[in-house]
Amino acid sequence: MKYAPLFAVQSCLALLLGCDVRGVASLPPPQTTSSAATSVSAPASKPLALAAPAPLAAPAVASKAPAPHDPNLLPDDDRALVIRDGQESWTSATGAARSGYTIVDLGDDWTPYIFEEHRGADGQPLPNRYRRVFLGLANDTLDEDGEPLPAGEKNYLELYGIPPSLGVLRARFLEDEKQSCHEGANLAAMQAVETVGYVAPEKVKQEEQRIARLRSELEDARRKAHAPTLAELAAQDPKLEPKVKLVERRAAEKLAMTEVERRLACEGMFKHGGKHSAGIYDDAMRLAVRRFQQKHMIYESNYLRQKTMDALARPPLANDHEALVRVLRERVVAATGVVEDGSVESKTGPPTYTGANGRITPVRNLVEEMTQAAVEQLGLASPEAALAFFKRHSAADLRHLRAAVHLPALPEYYGPNMDLSIVIDRGEVWYDLPWDATGARHPQPRKRYPSFHVYVKYKEQRISLARWRTTIGGWRAEQASDGYEYYRYKGSDVGPRVIRNVVAGPVWIAPESTPIRTLVKTKTVNGLWQRVVNYDELGPGFLSAYGLIAGYLVVPGKAGKPDWDNGIRAHGSSEYLSMYSAEGYSHGCHRLPNHLAIRLYSFILRHRPVQIVGDQPTNIARQFLLGDDVFEIRVPSRGYQYLLEPPLPIDVLEGEIKGTLKKPVLTYVPKPGVRYPGPPPAVPNSAEGRAGGVGSGRSGSDEEGGAP
Amino acid sequence: MISRARWYRRGLLAGVALLAVWGLGVAVGLGAEDTSKNAAIAESASPRNDDKVHITLQTVPPRKATVKWGSKTLGVIPVPRPLVVVRPRDSGPLDLVVRMAGFLPVHTRAYTFSDSRVAIKLTPVSEKNTLFGYRAEVPPEGSASPDAGAPPPAPVPPPASAPVPQR
Repeated sequence: MKYAPLFAVQSCLALLLGCDVRGVASLPPPQTTSSAATSVSAPASKPLALAAPAPLAAPAVASKAPAPHDPNLLPDDDRALVIRDGQESWTSATGAARSGYTIVDLGDDWTPYIFEEHRGADGQPLPNRYRRVFLGLANDTLDEDGEPLPAGEKNYLELYGIPPSLGVLRARFLEDEKQSCHEGANLAAMQAVETVGYVAPEKVKQEEQRIARLRSELEDARRKAHAPTLAELAAQDPKLEPKVKLVERRAAEKLAMTEVERRLACEGMFKHGGKHSAGIYDDAMRLAVRRFQQKHMIYESNYLRQKTMDALARPPLANDHEALVRVLRERVVAATGVVEDGSVESKTGPPTYTGANGRITPVRNLVEEMTQAAVEQLGLASPEAALAFFKRHSAADLRHLRAAVHLPALPEYYGPNMDLSIVIDRGEVWYDLPWDATGARHPQPRKRYPSFHVYVKYKEQRISLARWRTTIGGWRAEQASDGYEYYRYKGSDVGPRVIRNVVAGPVWIAPESTPIRTLVKTKTVNGLWQRVVNYDELGPGFLSAYGLIAGYLVVPGKAGKPDWDNGIRAHGSSEYLSMYSAEGYSHGCHRLPNHLAIRLYSFILRHRPVQIVGDQPTNIARQFLLGDDVFEIRVPSRGYQYLLEPPLPIDVLEGEIKGTLKKPVLTYVPKPGVRYPGPPPAVPNSAEGRAGGVGSGRSGSDEEGGAP
Repeated sequence: MISRARWYRRGLLAGVALLAVWGLGVAVGLGAEDTSKNAAIAESASPRNDDKVHITLQTVPPRKATVKWGSKTLGVIPVPRPLVVVRPRDSGPLDLVVRMAGFLPVHTRAYTFSDSRVAIKLTPVSEKNTLFGYRAEVPPEGSASPDAGAPPPAPVPPPASAPVPQR
């Protein structure tokens, strides 16, 4: 704050001149917000950081733009970049916000709202334990435990809800400009296939021999039929078409695979996976593909599916630009506090509502509108422009960079206390056992998957704002008190609930029914490769069973009684395939990808009355035995708590029950083929144990976690 | 006349005794401001520094257990006093292994967010079966096993009031 006195003088002068919106004629007019939007305010406790609340503390409508300033005369925390017609200038962030501009935090020290450090009602800071780790992960300086990342190592965690900082992206752009991963690439080979089929490494030879036999057989047939090509042969004899297609597809995939290997190696993706054997989809290849998918935020299984292939065929700078737009999207969403992302649109278009003026108005895709506006105004609409931007701005510039942008007005239904609600539709539900006594699996197809809907009530209308895929519970392995694993149906409760507690960086207190094998992992500790408790699973962290943020579903207590907690949460998750694959289930909770969960709860917390409670220290220790070693789970905090008061209503719809059983099985079911010492023990009666919908419980207990 | 070697021995013993009565216990610094993990610096119970945290380690029952952090031995718990480890504040957690002859090794974790006290329960090898996760022996092959290979039991319907309790 060494410039503070100077800034104060500037501000006074500005006020004396009546010019908190001093003219730069060439700048566009500031954001005009509806009256509802102007009343949006920050939560009860003010965040320490300036950036987050500023955009929501909506500006008065003004007619002029902020004036440019000499950046050296502006305090670090009040400097914002404005770009107009490609010309950059600096202005006062406070003044720009007053003038109707939105201040987008582009700094490397940015976190989503949920990880900001707030102040309590007494004005004391409420530190957030996970903030430092989040920043370290986003900036490639720390690992998931908060320990220093080895030099040159990359985290690539965007897929798990931690977007890279602009500093990291800058380095990526500058590095990719120099390298030649795309030059000389056989794009035709990549584009000739949509996917590359997976062949298990141990079956590669067998498959090659099969295809060789098939090819030989087809060649014989072709010669006999006097067909010039196999395609002609297939045209002449349609019953040979599937075989011809298979042979041709395998040949095309082989060429594509070579290109994929080249590209992955060029991008340094084989760094961690051991030795790769060319042409084989071995573990090294799988890990390289996974790393590439993580880098480019591709929600696909770790195989060469369409989105992965598309990204592999693009020039690296084009992929970098897509990453930059995604990163900007999260920054803009954080700055504006919007959630409408077009996910409610159907074939007939977006849903509509009747505005105050009586007009039918479609629900806008605000996330995209705002992002595109910011991208254009910041001159970042192409890979080349983005590269130029990063060349203009040093890594040091990006540490605290903020930009003033003029964004479209918020819809009229926005306000400080929006009547929000959530509906979860369980979709099609199967209670039947998915296997028989021999262990053979029985398919349980679903056409309608579980979905998560966000609504706002406005002028007696329920307006649909967002709709995402989510999870419900299903058959899961669970450890019983006899130390053996059984299957148990882990259902999702049905009926009205509320979310009162929202926890950022939540910790899942693994209940005793958690299979022990999942609670231990190996890692290098101070130079020694050893087994440790798998805190990745417990949290706080992006891999936590509760993801980066969780809302606790409860039935509100009446007449002074505490809330009833059945262990069900609506939380972020890194297990995206549980949401997006046909076979995906949870242990009863409703999962969202971490980045959507962050958006959702940031939106809720900023548009509902909230009390920021802060860190929830605890001192939970629990031991378990694995082999001849005792492992001790130690949990020092449950996370950073926000209290919604009044709580957020949520309704879970039963969905359509498929199959024979119309009610869930409530007992343990032995795993087929496993020998047990006796009959299955009784299921536990903890909140977690009740996640299948049995018994009753009380919230606030330190005894157990819920159902991730 | 006391020999020089004896003087050295007495001096050494006195030094050890002095160390033994010093403050709450032996404070072991594991690097100063940086996160250097290999630079073990013996420290007395120095004045509290906001940049550092003190992690106090004890076992239950109290035993002279060895505490290891990866490849490095942090020290032996100087019963009846605890072992105090000094670390830079917020420098990441320490995954520790506590070993004592006759007891099962314990893998635990200490945090550097704030000062903390870690009491580690030691279990005698003979009481292994008291720990969660202990697996009872499966009856030998061929003997009666109530559920071995049996088809899953018939589903049990939930009580009428489930899943929502009456309030």
